[in-house]
Amino acid sequence: MNEKTSLPLYGIPKILPYVKPYRKTIVIMILMGIAVSVFDAVYPLFNQYALNHFVALKTLDTLPQFIGLYLLCLVTQVTLNYTSVYICGKIEMLVDRDLRNASFNHIQTLSFSYFNQNNVGYVHARIMSDTGKIGELVAWRMMDIIWNGSYLIFVIAVMLATNARLAMYVLILVPFAVVLITWFQKHLVELNRKIREINSRITGNFNEGITGVRSIKTLVIEDTINGDFRKDTADMKRTSVHAVRYSGAFSAVISLMGSLALAMVLWQGGRLTIDGIIQIGTLSVFMTYALGMMDPLQSVITTLASLVSIQVNIERFTKLMETESDVADSEEVIEKYGDTFHPKKENWEELHGDVEFRDVSFHYPDGDEMVLEHFNLKVPQGTNVAIVGETGAGKSTLVNLVCRFYEPVEGEVLIDGRNARERSQLWLHSNIGYVLQAPHLFSGTVRDNLRYGNPDATDEQIMEALKLVSADFVIGKMDKGLDSEVGEGGDNLSTGEKQLLSFARAILADPRILVLDEATASVDTLTEKAIQDAIDIVIKGRTSFVIAHRLSTVVDADVILVVSDGKITERGTHKELMKKKGSYYALYTRQFEEIAADMVQHTAA
Amino acid sequence: MKKEQFDSRSGMIVYFLRGSKRYFGFALFFACMTSLLELLNPKIIGYTVDSVIDQQGSRLPAVVNALVEKAGGAAYFRTHLGVIALAVVCVALLAALCRFLFQLNNAKGAETLVERMRNSLFEHIIRLPSQWHSENHTGDIIQRCTSDVEQVKMFVAEMLTALFRITLLITLAVYFMVSIHPRLAMASCAFFVVIITYSIIFHRMIGSSFRKADEEEGRLSSIAQENLTGVRVVRAFGREAYERQRFEKQNNIYTDHWIYLMKLLGAFWTSGDLISWLQILTVLCYGSWLCVHGQLTAGDFIAFIAYNSMLTWPVRLLGRVIASLSRANIAIDRLRYIMNAETEQETGELTPDMHGDICFDHVSYQYENSSAGILHDVTFTVKAGSTVGILGATGSGKSTLMNLLDRLYVLPEDGGRITVGGVDINDIKSDWLRGNIGMVLQEPYLFSRTLSENIGIAGHVSDMKQIREAARIASLDESVSHFTEGYNTYVGERGVTLSGGQKQRTAIAQMLVRKPPIMVFDDSLSAVDAETDAKIRNALKKNVSGSTVILIAHRITTLMSADHIIVLDKGRIAEEGTHDELIEKNGIYRKIYDLQVSQGELGEAAI
Repeated sequence: MNEKTSLPLYGIPKILPYVKPYRKTIVIMILMGIAVSVFDAVYPLFNQYALNHFVALKTLDTLPQFIGLYLLCLVTQVTLNYTSVYICGKIEMLVDRDLRNASFNHIQTLSFSYFNQNNVGYVHARIMSDTGKIGELVAWRMMDIIWNGSYLIFVIAVMLATNARLAMYVLILVPFAVVLITWFQKHLVELNRKIREINSRITGNFNEGITGVRSIKTLVIEDTINGDFRKDTADMKRTSVHAVRYSGAFSAVISLMGSLALAMVLWQGGRLTIDGIIQIGTLSVFMTYALGMMDPLQSVITTLASLVSIQVNIERFTKLMETESDVADSEEVIEKYGDTFHPKKENWEELHGDVEFRDVSFHYPDGDEMVLEHFNLKVPQGTNVAIVGETGAGKSTLVNLVCRFYEPVEGEVLIDGRNARERSQLWLHSNIGYVLQAPHLFSGTVRDNLRYGNPDATDEQIMEALKLVSADFVIGKMDKGLDSEVGEGGDNLSTGEKQLLSFARAILADPRILVLDEATASVDTLTEKAIQDAIDIVIKGRTSFVIAHRLSTVVDADVILVVSDGKITERGTHKELMKKKGSYYALYTRQFEEIAADMVQHTAA
Repeated sequence: MKKEQFDSRSGMIVYFLRGSKRYFGFALFFACMTSLLELLNPKIIGYTVDSVIDQQGSRLPAVVNALVEKAGGAAYFRTHLGVIALAVVCVALLAALCRFLFQLNNAKGAETLVERMRNSLFEHIIRLPSQWHSENHTGDIIQRCTSDVEQVKMFVAEMLTALFRITLLITLAVYFMVSIHPRLAMASCAFFVVIITYSIIFHRMIGSSFRKADEEEGRLSSIAQENLTGVRVVRAFGREAYERQRFEKQNNIYTDHWIYLMKLLGAFWTSGDLISWLQILTVLCYGSWLCVHGQLTAGDFIAFIAYNSMLTWPVRLLGRVIASLSRANIAIDRLRYIMNAETEQETGELTPDMHGDICFDHVSYQYENSSAGILHDVTFTVKAGSTVGILGATGSGKSTLMNLLDRLYVLPEDGGRITVGGVDINDIKSDWLRGNIGMVLQEPYLFSRTLSENIGIAGHVSDMKQIREAARIASLDESVSHFTEGYNTYVGERGVTLSGGQKQRTAIAQMLVRKPPIMVFDDSLSAVDAETDAKIRNALKKNVSGSTVILIAHRITTLMSADHIIVLDKGRIAEEGTHDELIEKNGIYRKIYDLQVSQGELGEAAI
């Protein structure tokens, strides 16, 4: 936890815009909340009346009125209470919803550098969990303070009005209680933080023990790993018990304070009762108030203290919302072509597929080393570019620039002769097909997935696309055909099948520019062949950029770019580069031997 | 190793409770004390109001009355109310102390219980066979070990103790209330019965709505998750608007369901309030009537009201506790699933010299739930101290062969035999077997520790000289010198991420530290380039003399210098012999060799 507290007022002003639409409802909720707690504080007065009137005077004359008034109060209070609880829950949910929408939608506009710097789990937690904490703050935390706060104020007022002197005896305890509660609270917050830390360590241990189980077995280190685990669980036990020493003492002290107040009232109030200054009923109501004051007091302070921890959530949320995209369309572009969510398709020009890098220099936002310097490359419509190089050499850079996931630091990328920045990202992306190395499908039906790039595709078109890449057999073997569920992340399908479906998806989108990141994962020979054929079909007639691992793709490419250490070191056709006997030559021969080993064995057997 | 099967839920709970029972015993004792003491104060107040303030006759039990009289009777207290106040404070102090001791002991019990649960689970899990691990999802097992453990803890330390405390409190309070006025007590308790029944029914009913809320949240969460993992696809197809619509739609469904739930919960809470307040009204009216008719004193009335209000919350809690018991059952069953899975069987006792010949004798194997065999009648011998190479395509069964050798998978009775120095590996103690076989996997797992700790972990070596030496042979020293913290660099989940090649070399160093008599390289040089591969192999040759080496690889160059080469295809041995013999044979090996040589004209370059 090195997130420093820096926002004023726990960061609450930052979330006001999200609360604003509900301000009327919130005002109603607050008023109702106050009314509810006033009623709560009124009930003991009925006891007082019963004792002072019925019991003391031995008469039941006003009993019907008494019951009537009580029932009236009861019905009003229950109605108010129900409404305020319901409104409170509703506001929590609605604010949560709006915050989730806002963060999700904002994330849709962020550039890739954000996703490279923040892992999926982290971003996901921003959308799903921080927002929940904030919603809870706006609704329930606020309600807690209002309920308990106004209850306290009202009780104190009634006590002061009934008998100021007796009231003072009770109130004198309040400052002590406040100091004690605050002290305990501080320690508990710290201890709870520690417990959460150890807890995540233990979860990490479980993860390591389960995912690393084969290594643990082969290395015969069960005892070592076990011993370490025991250390953590023992640590957890020690810290948790230590925390309970505080929280236990805390609640004991609170109840003791309540009893202390009660004893005060009995002592001083008893005196007053004996002297006939107050009646027994009044004494009784004072005792009820004295005993019941400490819990709301504790609640208010605990709630205020918990604001510190919610501040972290607000900060994370605010930081996300204030993150700006590195790649953004200019005002004029948005004016003409529309933004991410509201495209003006009527103004979109057709894209032909001429791509040109003109004097492009580039480095990634999180590094200073230039990976491209004054790079020039013309890719006329229909050209097939293959990019090869070692794993991690930076082969995706060019592709990222073509897709405008990043923008050049200097120079420009031209699409159909015009700077890519002159048109909207959405226009470009709607004309680009992208097939990933690790094929990504969304949960839903096969049809939903295939239509992802072209929502209007008919079933005939879909089947045609599937046949084109020989993926119709995948559908054939599924029970419900196109309506079959692919599972979360496409888990119901094999890697090879997912790969083929993603080709069909790209074909349906019928893009002018195609970007293809070939898979390195090993698939069986048949699927391998099918994928190879699919690639050949997909890139035909389109401008394509292929991050290539397969030999035929490389050999037949119009231009081959060789990337090493993030820079383009060689370029040319297969023949030219083989003649050169440089790094392409070395790379090619090595890849070939591995693939050959697999291929020959299968064909020979 | 312990060998326990839990046929019943309670059996497992009892097993987990070992070591924490006494704490819970103390906790329950102090819970009783707390309840008793907390019930005492209303009595004192009732007496004070009646006898001291209102000056009615005392109706205290004879023993207490004698004590009171000795102190000076009601008259004395009338002038010394402070003494009574002091008594109230003393009782409260004792009650607070007992309450503290209850909480402390309860927490000690709970934490001891959780510690034992976690330790037992962890120890059990890492001793479960590989087969079990490949059949169960990591996420699911972790969920069981974290949230289900938490559920069971709640069940024992909160639910059961709460049940005990509440029952006790109710019994005592009702006893006192009955002793004050039986009919008034009955009128009041009738409402409690209503509240308990009502809340049990409600919680049973709302259970499915809560589950639905969880499901909807899960759905929303996966939409977000998929959007983030598939961010490239979303952007590349320009489908942000569609994603937004999809998310907002599910977000609305989820929100609406919760608002509906809030409506139900709000109705439940407030109707609970309503019943409670009606109860108080009944007590007030009926009590007043009794007072007016001289059947109840004011002090008793006040005490009665105090007892009555003490019960309001516990009674409402009781319904929830009872309703949630069924949830605990599910959690216990989920843990029982893990604890009842069979750990690896120790079948052997022998600790023979492992420097002997390794014989695979008619080995056949197939996975439990698959019909296709992985290995068919594989027979070959690895001579002690020699190097054997295995060539095979993906899925040809070479890794399975090694898993069988290390007994990660157990060879069935009719599946042939594997022997080391003539001893069946099933008769060898598995720690001994695995300790003497160094296995470097294709994708090695590194632990969240420093690099040097990872290298030394298996051999329990912390001597930096040995670690450096092993790293040098594995060509890892150069990479290490690039890390600012060198060998103290923290790796794994919470540290630096190493590249595939670096991981493989770390694993090789890890094995070299312990110098096992048998070394297996399972495609473990695949992520390093050809030159480093050659460098490592040369260094190994010089440093591991005496060990038997099994080398699995794709590259002919990696294998060609082995003493014996086996070509595995679809679970059968297709060819075997030395490099020269296999070349002469003109079979698969030769074809692969030709391809690799001719295409790359690589010969010298890669060697």
